Amino acid sequence: MQLFIRRYGTLIGFVAILVFFSAMLPGTFPTARNWLNITQQTSMLMVVAAGMTIVMVMGDFDLSVGSAASLAGIVAALMMAAGQPIWAAVSVALLVGLLGGAFNGAMVSLVGILPFIATLATMTMFSGLAFVVSGGKTISGRAIPEDFGNFARGGIPLGEWGGVAISLPNLSIIAIVVVLAVWVLLEQTTYGRRLYAIGGNMEAAHLSGIAVKRLRLIAFSLTGLAAAAGGLMYASRVASANPVQGSGLMLNAIAAVFLGTTMSRHGEPRILATVVGVIVLGVLDNGLTQMSVDSYIRQVLVGALILLAVAASSVTQGRR
Amino acid sequence: MAPSVPLLSATSVTKAYAGVPALSGASLVIAPGEIHALMGENGAGKSTLIKILAGVVAADTAEITVNGERVSIDSTKAAYRLGLRFIHQEFNVVSTLSVAENIFMGRRYPRRAGLLVDWKTLNRESQRALDRLGIDHIDPSQNLGELSLGDQMLVRISAALLDDAKLYVMDEPTAALTRDESERLFRVLREIRASGSSVLYVSHRLDEIMALCDKATVLRDGRSIDSGALTNITHDDLVSLMIGRKVEEAYPKATAQPRETTVFAAAGLATAGLNPVSLSLREGEVLGIAGLSGSGQAELIRAIFGDAKRTAGTMTLSGTSYAPSSPAAAWQSGVAYVPRERRAEGLVMRRPIFENITLAHLKRQSRAGTWLTPNREKRFAAELGANVRLKALGPGQDVLELSGGNQQKVVFAKAVAGNPRLLLLEEPTRGVDVGAKFDIYSIVRELTAKGAAVILVSSDLPELIGISDRIAVMRQGAITTIVDAAGLREDDLINLCYGRPTGMVA
Repeated sequence: MQLFIRRYGTLIGFVAILVFFSAMLPGTFPTARNWLNITQQTSMLMVVAAGMTIVMVMGDFDLSVGSAASLAGIVAALMMAAGQPIWAAVSVALLVGLLGGAFNGAMVSLVGILPFIATLATMTMFSGLAFVVSGGKTISGRAIPEDFGNFARGGIPLGEWGGVAISLPNLSIIAIVVVLAVWVLLEQTTYGRRLYAIGGNMEAAHLSGIAVKRLRLIAFSLTGLAAAAGGLMYASRVASANPVQGSGLMLNAIAAVFLGTTMSRHGEPRILATVVGVIVLGVLDNGLTQMSVDSYIRQVLVGALILLAVAASSVTQGRR
Repeated sequence: MAPSVPLLSATSVTKAYAGVPALSGASLVIAPGEIHALMGENGAGKSTLIKILAGVVAADTAEITVNGERVSIDSTKAAYRLGLRFIHQEFNVVSTLSVAENIFMGRRYPRRAGLLVDWKTLNRESQRALDRLGIDHIDPSQNLGELSLGDQMLVRISAALLDDAKLYVMDEPTAALTRDESERLFRVLREIRASGSSVLYVSHRLDEIMALCDKATVLRDGRSIDSGALTNITHDDLVSLMIGRKVEEAYPKATAQPRETTVFAAAGLATAGLNPVSLSLREGEVLGIAGLSGSGQAELIRAIFGDAKRTAGTMTLSGTSYAPSSPAAAWQSGVAYVPRERRAEGLVMRRPIFENITLAHLKRQSRAGTWLTPNREKRFAAELGANVRLKALGPGQDVLELSGGNQQKVVFAKAVAGNPRLLLLEEPTRGVDVGAKFDIYSIVRELTAKGAAVILVSSDLPELIGISDRIAVMRQGAITTIVDAAGLREDDLINLCYGRPTGMVA
């Protein structure tokens, strides 16, 4: 019974939330349109949290993802404002994320700084950089090509639902692709297996011939890349970029992964569990907004929910 | 004389974990003033029984009396109040606090003016506790973390001896102790016995038990098989009681002699902690490494395994140059390693058996070195598991759930999975029961029969002599001598370790 609550408590809570919102908002909540909307609203968080899962599998953290996302958005916007083609701007922004992540990885695995401290430092560095290169201004309006903003508004038409045309948003498609890629990486490849071994026992992994340093470096690079992708998606969605745009992503991404860990056997992060975590956060946000709950109250509720889920899973783990 | 009231009696003790019985009606009766051995293979129920007495685990049923009075031990505090003290391997210590602070942990610190800690008295009292064990080389104000594992163990033991208790329960107290330290501990245990208190002594080392204990209780499969005085019983009888069958030999016989071909050679190999060492091994040969703890054994192994920066020297493996830059390179070249601490260094406890076994061989146990093939891995692991006589529910079971001996077999399965040419073993049977020990020795024999060479670091001298062909003795980071193991006596080996003259004819 305890084990059941530990593994499925979060899922049961999730279902309860769905039932609650469906009862309170029967006309707007349980509709295909609203759900597609939720997938779009959560797509950026989904991508960043998927990347976060990679480092958290090793027991590490990356606090710099929010700043990296902002920086990537700024870099792309500046390049587009300077007349560079969209593809070049996007590529360079992604490269910035990858290199930023690699820098985190180098600090953590080669220099040996604790991830918490290393990425706390780079969080401020990336954020400062974003301010420096943008001059602290929001880049928007005609500086951003229309095509870039239109991408987030577009999608694949899925037909009609109750007389309304609905489509699968492009941003949701990106999120799905990223989640699939991370799933393949973590669950289907030797790389993922080795990351889980590092997370379980770094010394044993090292003595079993795993190149711990190199793998950690790669993992942080991928997390940085995903953060940049999340930042670009955000910039596309609002057709603008400012240096604090991604700041909310880091805490939510870590929260989503933690929510997910309450569903796995030994509390290790799993990408599909992270997906559930992101959707829980997204659904709460969506439902509470529709019920016109004040956004600060929303923060309190979401925080309390995370505490509840993690507490339930650790308390029921029983006496050590 | 009427039979005296037992100091502690625990009868009809049952306990099941998730429906799997760990104890089914075990009993244990300890008289005042005796040293009582608790024996049994890993998984026989010893630790569960001790945890029940310590109030850490609640028994399903148990009748426990202390001095004839019925008691229930529902918390560690209750056990403490009853005068029971527990000293086990994973004792709580804080390595960043001083020796004295650790000794007084859980007790009231001596105070000045009722407020300030009286450090002088604290250190003096701690010194007294250490003196009781004849320890004069540990400063109570030193940080515990600066001490060797053996010394830390001594500190824990002296802490338990600080106040007079009725029963001291010791779980493998000598595992990390040197022979001298163990002897000092035994002297204190005998003093405790003379003062009328008792000791419950858990150990896999039969020689110690035979020399030290008055009585023994043998557990097998959660039941008390036998209990009685240790006067008219032989070493072999005890072993057969524990494993439930006759034993012919403690060490399996070598089926083949080492061959002439050299497998591994090191010339002038040195690292930061290792003075230049030269040695060579032939196919099928086991080279034992003896020495006091910290004489460079670990450094030698790490150097061969590519886990330490070489400062000088060369190595060859099967005639070709061997210069591993990392453990990964060592595994690639066919060198396998069974580390000293299986939980900390050997296993990913919360992952399944098969993942642990293939961890060092994922390149071959996958498609194109990239794509996982879990079903193939499981078949491979099941096959290897059978080879090492692993007792488990299946290759998907988490290592965490296995007994110590079976966990060690998983480490061995990982090591032999790639058919290594050279196998490095560090304390391969520490904390492993007799039955599993024999299995592990058999694995080593099978491997050498196939032509592999083995380097065995062990503080268990009978094991070193029983398994090795030759034994290299290390002192202060260098090999001082290499002797034939056949006919070698333990005392001679000890003398060699201490650098004392031996009665041996060179």
